[in-house]
Amino acid sequence: MIEFINVNKTYPNGVTALNNINLKIDQGEFVAIIGLSGAGKSTLIRCINRMHDINEGTLNVDDVDVSKLKGKQVRDYRRKIGMIFQSFNLVTRTSVINNVLVSVVPELSWWRKILGLFPKDKKVIALEALDKVGILDKAYNRVDQLSGGQQQRVALARTLAQNPSIILADEPVASLDPVTAKVVMDDFKRINKDLNMSILINIHHVELALEYADRVIGIRKGEVVYDGKSSDVTQDVLDEIYGSITEVPHMDDLEEAKV
Amino acid sequence: MKETFYDKIFKPKTYTLENGKEVKQRASRVPLIIVLLVIAMYLSFQATDSDLSLIFTRGYQFFVILIAMFPPNFNYISNIWEPLFDTIQMSLLGSVAGAILAIPLALLSSGNVIRNRFVNGLFKFVLSIMRTLPTLIMALIATFVFGLGTMAGTTAIFLFTMSYIGKLMYEHIENVDMGAFEAHESMGLTKIQAFRYAIVPDVLPTYLSVSLYAFEGNIRYAAILGYVGAGGIGLVLDERLGWRDYPSVAMVLLVLMIVVFIIERISEYFRRKLT
Repeated sequence: MIEFINVNKTYPNGVTALNNINLKIDQGEFVAIIGLSGAGKSTLIRCINRMHDINEGTLNVDDVDVSKLKGKQVRDYRRKIGMIFQSFNLVTRTSVINNVLVSVVPELSWWRKILGLFPKDKKVIALEALDKVGILDKAYNRVDQLSGGQQQRVALARTLAQNPSIILADEPVASLDPVTAKVVMDDFKRINKDLNMSILINIHHVELALEYADRVIGIRKGEVVYDGKSSDVTQDVLDEIYGSITEVPHMDDLEEAKV
Repeated sequence: MKETFYDKIFKPKTYTLENGKEVKQRASRVPLIIVLLVIAMYLSFQATDSDLSLIFTRGYQFFVILIAMFPPNFNYISNIWEPLFDTIQMSLLGSVAGAILAIPLALLSSGNVIRNRFVNGLFKFVLSIMRTLPTLIMALIATFVFGLGTMAGTTAIFLFTMSYIGKLMYEHIENVDMGAFEAHESMGLTKIQAFRYAIVPDVLPTYLSVSLYAFEGNIRYAAILGYVGAGGIGLVLDERLGWRDYPSVAMVLLVLMIVVFIIERISEYFRRKLT
């Protein structure tokens, strides 16, 4: 369970990214977070795995106070949380399986870590993860030979091999075409149902959010303005989240600049 | 569009669309650059006292020497092997040592690996200072330190290779996409592990390719280092030229050409495999 209690986050340059966030997300939920660029969506999910630190309030994940973790504790904690990125963030000049195998690196002995030699059982774990997203046949291809959709599924397999209880996805389908986007969203849905992993997904495509997620959280200017079932989202709710066209933020917004 | 002084003299072209909107295209700067280049060339001819007419009056001498080289003195080949292997050895040893030591220098110079502006700046400065010293001069200085012979040549090549690869690698490392690094950190890897698995696989093919390229270039450098007494085939070349023994010179050059050609081919083959 993920629990935000009065969480505030301000960037060093003074931009308030999160303002008094209170949320409770149960294990196994599929949550879509929607809102304009710069509203604080990325910041919200990056606080969960401590890629960002919060300034005030409490963030509990499975009854652990996340902001109190230090050094190795943070790294151990991150092992339980997978993350998917808009630009896939794979090592493109190496094979698919090598990318997936990175997720088991912290479990290797020191000499294996240095040499990059993976034992057979870890390779089987990696191959099984690739099988779950349907690209087992690409295991020994180089990543830069794959299409965008295939690359995002490699990233998904990398996360699965880590066997996390939560998957955070930051605009996972934003750089994919509509058909491929659906295929990847189907993968998320299947993983959510079969493996009972919580999925938090930042997404710009409202239709996809409503179609796939059970719950929608609307963020506007760092505040939660909607939190409820995706089936209850109406046009009024969307207007509330996205505001009128004149309020579209500028490109110099922090979040936009960072991604 | 800000109007510069140049734009006032050479007016920009204006395109008008049907709806009355105007787009301005600046006049090309190329004529100005050509004029400046011609002036610079004229001034350098003046400054260096180059006399182009010498090409016409003395140019044929080049062919005289070329003709004197034929036929090459094939019997001389037995004197070439040893200095030739010295040359290859100097270049190989210098290249390998330089390539290995370039790694820590490149890392220390890369702003995205070592986040300390002072350290980055210091090592970048060291690398660029080392590159401003011509290899021949380095070899000459090395002969004062290590005495005449291949050790001096190896040192010169080592220093040059280190600065050359070091610079190319830190530029590459600084331009690496840090996305995979971020992803690896989010999976609970330490910064060192994330570097090992995100940056190294990305940089490694380039590193090997650059190292091979440096090695093949170094064979050619090593060939002339003999001129300052740093050992290798240059020593023989210098001596034969001194005696005006052109057929033997031709033999040395021929062997050198073949060796350089073969090594370039091999290195090119592997470099293509790498990228």
